[in-house]
Amino acid sequence: MNKKLKSFVSLALAVGMTFSLSACQSKETAPAPATGGTQAPAENKDPIRIGFFAPITGAAAADGLSTSNSAELAVSIINESGGINGRQVELVKYDDALDTKQAVNIAQKLTTKDNVVAVVSGSYSGPTRVAAPIFQEAGIPMLSGYAIHPDVCKAGDFIFSQSFAGSVQGKAGAKVAVDMLKAKRIAIIQVDIDFGKQLAESFTEYATANGAEIVSVDKFAMADKEFAPVVTKLKEEVKPDLIYMANYYGHGAEIVRQAKSMGLNVPILGTEGIDSFQFLEIAKENAEGVILTTNMNRDSENESTQAFIKAYKEKYGIVPDMVGASVYDSFEVLFKVIADVGTEPTAIRDAIKGLKNFETVTGNLIEYAPTREAIKPVQVQVIKDGDFHYYGVVEDTEIITPPAAN
Amino acid sequence: MLMQQLVNGVMIGSVYALTAMGATLIYGILRILDIANAAAYAIGAYLGWYIYSISHNLLLAFLLSMILTGLIGVVIQKYIYYPIISKPNVIPIVPLITSVGLFTITGDLIRLILGPNVKEFGVVFKSGAIKIGKLIINPEWIFIIVLTAVLFAILWFILNKTRLGLAWRATAEDSEIAKAMGVNTNISMALSYILGYGFAASAGIMVGMLYNSISPTMGDIPSYKMLAIIVLGGLGNPVGTVVAGLIIGLAETLVSAYMGSILPRDAIAFIVLIFVLLLKPSGLVSKKSA
Repeated sequence: MNKKLKSFVSLALAVGMTFSLSACQSKETAPAPATGGTQAPAENKDPIRIGFFAPITGAAAADGLSTSNSAELAVSIINESGGINGRQVELVKYDDALDTKQAVNIAQKLTTKDNVVAVVSGSYSGPTRVAAPIFQEAGIPMLSGYAIHPDVCKAGDFIFSQSFAGSVQGKAGAKVAVDMLKAKRIAIIQVDIDFGKQLAESFTEYATANGAEIVSVDKFAMADKEFAPVVTKLKEEVKPDLIYMANYYGHGAEIVRQAKSMGLNVPILGTEGIDSFQFLEIAKENAEGVILTTNMNRDSENESTQAFIKAYKEKYGIVPDMVGASVYDSFEVLFKVIADVGTEPTAIRDAIKGLKNFETVTGNLIEYAPTREAIKPVQVQVIKDGDFHYYGVVEDTEIITPPAAN
Repeated sequence: MLMQQLVNGVMIGSVYALTAMGATLIYGILRILDIANAAAYAIGAYLGWYIYSISHNLLLAFLLSMILTGLIGVVIQKYIYYPIISKPNVIPIVPLITSVGLFTITGDLIRLILGPNVKEFGVVFKSGAIKIGKLIINPEWIFIIVLTAVLFAILWFILNKTRLGLAWRATAEDSEIAKAMGVNTNISMALSYILGYGFAASAGIMVGMLYNSISPTMGDIPSYKMLAIIVLGGLGNPVGTVVAGLIIGLAETLVSAYMGSILPRDAIAFIVLIFVLLLKPSGLVSKKSA
């Protein structure tokens, strides 16, 4: 009787907790293991809690959806396969709305009350940068999926970046422009935030050092959509032989559409910012031939890449993009190191640091640089027949190794 | 290149004028700065996109979306704004904040119902760009400029040549006196919202066509840029709004073409506004000359 009552109470509590969690966080907390009456050693059966935040509402809600889809997919796959060493994984998910104040609150909640062993950021550089010092202070490892600002990892040794540094991608882009596409007169169109600045700066540095000239730089605000004036100017006055777009898919789609309709027929080189099915959808046939640097090779023979693309498509009905793949990788890394060393945050940190040649969805993760940014080859994709395909890869060590922290 | 940039500027300017026209008509009658006009812009774009995707008839998409969005406007006016502004001693900031709230809710509702992703608008004109010498004009641009002109002609006709318009102008001039003279000011208010939200809807569809995309956050920039335009146009003055929209469209285009990116595009509207207000505090076209 007593035992029955006890198990009933614990079940009721579990249900109650699940509800209250879903009320204050999200609908998607994996169900607590319904142990019912079985009494197993508590420390082995409790779910492993991993924190996650992304801009699920606000201006970057599409990326927020993409990354939170990936986070849920990763967690559901690991749980279906029996969890990590028999323990289920529970996702503690928050929406930062692309707001730095919100990100600070979330980081404080995750570090003080949610009892998470590690955190994945599915957000942009802004929110991730302000959250990072809080996780560092609390000694909880954070993996940032795709924020490229160098300050993110400078917060300290608990903070890692799953994406290559912005400067790496900018240089790789310049190598593609100068070596593969033989560009001599390059026009840059960049979104005027961390993302565009980082990429454009390092692109310029490498391109000018290798014999190309930057003939114009046009900057625009994140929400801007009107590119007819710039494209007109490029066509009639600047006359570049290549356009480098350090921007996102909304901007990119409009630039390639304008270029087509104005008859500006020069190669267009983009970045991971246009690596999204949305770019293909909006730009349509105008996207054909556009080349971009990114981290996921769609034509990869790599089994995990193809399995991820397939599973994501089946679950959500759309193809995954670069931000989604990067967040998925972050979870894979965490699952791997937790399986190896357990859930103690310092052990997780050390294991991430020591990780070498780990096969991820976005290719071989060679290792983390001393700056804790992932070192991996930069993929070069081309848009052909309405889809991303292999064009090349940049693997030169001196390009893909991020500059040492100063 | 100048000719091409002028065409670019007129194109974007006429969309601005149309976007701000709704807010102008509503301010003219109710003295409400209705930020929720930017919500009508997004709702109109989504309705237009939906109707077009099932009917493949662009004109039908415009008409139906404008009517439906206009009716939404009337409902909002009747059940939300009217009860608020008819309270005694209501300060003007209350309806303004209400409209900000409506705008925010609408954006999030669209996101919750249809998802945060950008949707392809999907209107494709068969004929390619038209070339006149070095000048290139997209068929969408011609469509947009012509349609904007037609809509403004209809508006001018309604306001200047009909009894309804006379009542509207009388109410805009002084609603108390108009009421005392037997003008049904409720109808004038309803007319403001039908036309205002309908115009905003048509602007939303045009922008959707122009960039081949719509998204739940598409109203964000218009929500503040239209303020610069209606203030520049002399607050509540339809003619002034058209002039102001064109000036800002041209200024933005020419600055980004000839001066590069020294200024963010969105700042230009406000800089023009400050200059004009310093020279002419009542706006470009003051109320009397409407």
